[in-house]
Amino acid sequence: MTRALSWILSLTALASLVLLVGVFTWQSSVIWQRDGIAYVTGHSWFYRQQQFGAFSLLYGSIVVSSMALLLAGPLGLGAALFIAEYLPQKTRLVLKSLIELLAGIPSVVYGLLGILLLRGWVYETFERFEPLSGDTLLTAGILLAIMLLPTVVSLSEDALRAVPASQRRAARALGLTRAETIWSVCLPQARRGITSAFLLALGRSLGETVAIFLVVGRQDNNVPHSWLSPAPLLQAGQTLTSKLGGAETNIAYGDPLHWSAIMGLGLILLILTGAATLLGTVRRERNA
Amino acid sequence: MRKAKDLLLGTLLGACLLATLAIVGGLVFAIVHRGWPAISVSFFTEQIRLVGADGGIFWNLIGTGILLVTALLASAPCAVSLALLERVWLRSPQLRRLLRLALYTINGLPSIVFGIFGFIVFVQWCGWGKSWLAGGLVLAMSMLPTVTIVLLERIAAIPTRYVEAAAALGLNRTQIVWAVLMRQSWGGLISGSLLGLARAAGETAPIMFTATIFAGATFPRAVVESPVLTLSYHIFILAQDSFAPAVGTKLWGAALVLLGLVFSFTLAALPARLRQHEESNV
Repeated sequence: MTRALSWILSLTALASLVLLVGVFTWQSSVIWQRDGIAYVTGHSWFYRQQQFGAFSLLYGSIVVSSMALLLAGPLGLGAALFIAEYLPQKTRLVLKSLIELLAGIPSVVYGLLGILLLRGWVYETFERFEPLSGDTLLTAGILLAIMLLPTVVSLSEDALRAVPASQRRAARALGLTRAETIWSVCLPQARRGITSAFLLALGRSLGETVAIFLVVGRQDNNVPHSWLSPAPLLQAGQTLTSKLGGAETNIAYGDPLHWSAIMGLGLILLILTGAATLLGTVRRERNA
Repeated sequence: MRKAKDLLLGTLLGACLLATLAIVGGLVFAIVHRGWPAISVSFFTEQIRLVGADGGIFWNLIGTGILLVTALLASAPCAVSLALLERVWLRSPQLRRLLRLALYTINGLPSIVFGIFGFIVFVQWCGWGKSWLAGGLVLAMSMLPTVTIVLLERIAAIPTRYVEAAAALGLNRTQIVWAVLMRQSWGGLISGSLLGLARAAGETAPIMFTATIFAGATFPRAVVESPVLTLSYHIFILAQDSFAPAVGTKLWGAALVLLGLVFSFTLAALPARLRQHEESNV
């Protein structure tokens, strides 16, 4: 009885997840059949003209996420190193709990803070680059970086704690300073765990919707002409998630082609976040 | 020279930690500071008036509550089943690993994906329209991995000799499940559910297409076309198009309440988690 029930419920839960992947694949098949790979590489998205090129959305997602990781990664890793290597056990537990608490701040609250505080700051600070408003890819990147910080700290700290204390003691007994121990023992041994932490953070940042939605400007078809200048970062943009979260999702339902283009974005998002999370999880397993 | 480098790195890392705490702590302070003036008894007991500029968040709290209770009731039995499947019923280590990997991967999937899935399946195919049940089920899906993983770790931490003792007394697997495994790990189900609820309470993306509207809903009396108001969606909409100072204060107040709700769920789960941390460090 117990056994049967738990199989039935488990299979229901797993089936609904298989259904989820299935639905996104199946519902997006129209656009894949029509455009093939051009759907991913096409630069223009004008749904009234039935043009669906997802490249600018992919660009937006990747730019915003990489900015966030570049900003939050070093800072978060530094904080994690200090917590794991310098602080006594009691303080460590308190700080760790605090950080985990802060990691739970809802993204809509971050979005609110972004709109009311960060947006104006970005506009004023970068005024000489003449942004049209404070809603830019950069704003979204900075906001996402702040959101990711607690997650990066917490996961990196886990990775560092997985390095056995005996290794540290051995290094110190050999006369290495704390800094040298960190540099030549802890970091190399926690390397897998730290990359895993960053991959998991990447997955989370690619999928973040509401906070980005509120500050990214949601302007379609913004692809930079020059890849070297930083100016495009100060323009409004659009990410996969901000597109999916917008009004177009409601409009699209009913028009098979438009809807399948929207579902295609969902499928791309599923693949990207799924891959980042899966890689991160496998690496962490090996680390432990 | 080596001493200097040592000191330098220590200072640098300490500064990183201080900066992190200052940034995120500063945000929490900003919300408390701006939201506190809005908090009063009537803020919790009145409904929205004047597009959020007046009144309170009564129905938003009720709506969030309805979604959370639904999500909890739908996810808890599935979480117990999945955890038992991994710990007890599945014999092959490969399959168990696959199940764990699947759970961790699902945990990392974006919540907007669940929202759109719910929109297709419940709102369109089932024809429910925006409904509290659709929102609750979608939230249940998004919190299920969290609950399962915490419970799973709790069951895994039960000393093997308990199970061996039960087996030696002649209990069969089902009896061991109820008398030992679940008896010893129900705290894990509670703390896992609290963590899941903390996440679900703040979610906006999964419910905006499936369950919630901005104004005009009260207690749902049916399933079809029965949306609810929620705190997170309230903040999401007001944040986009409101610059009136009165709305501002109410908005920060709502954000503060949401933050308080999320933090109290997380804090309620904390003692159990700390105990487990310390046990695993011994």
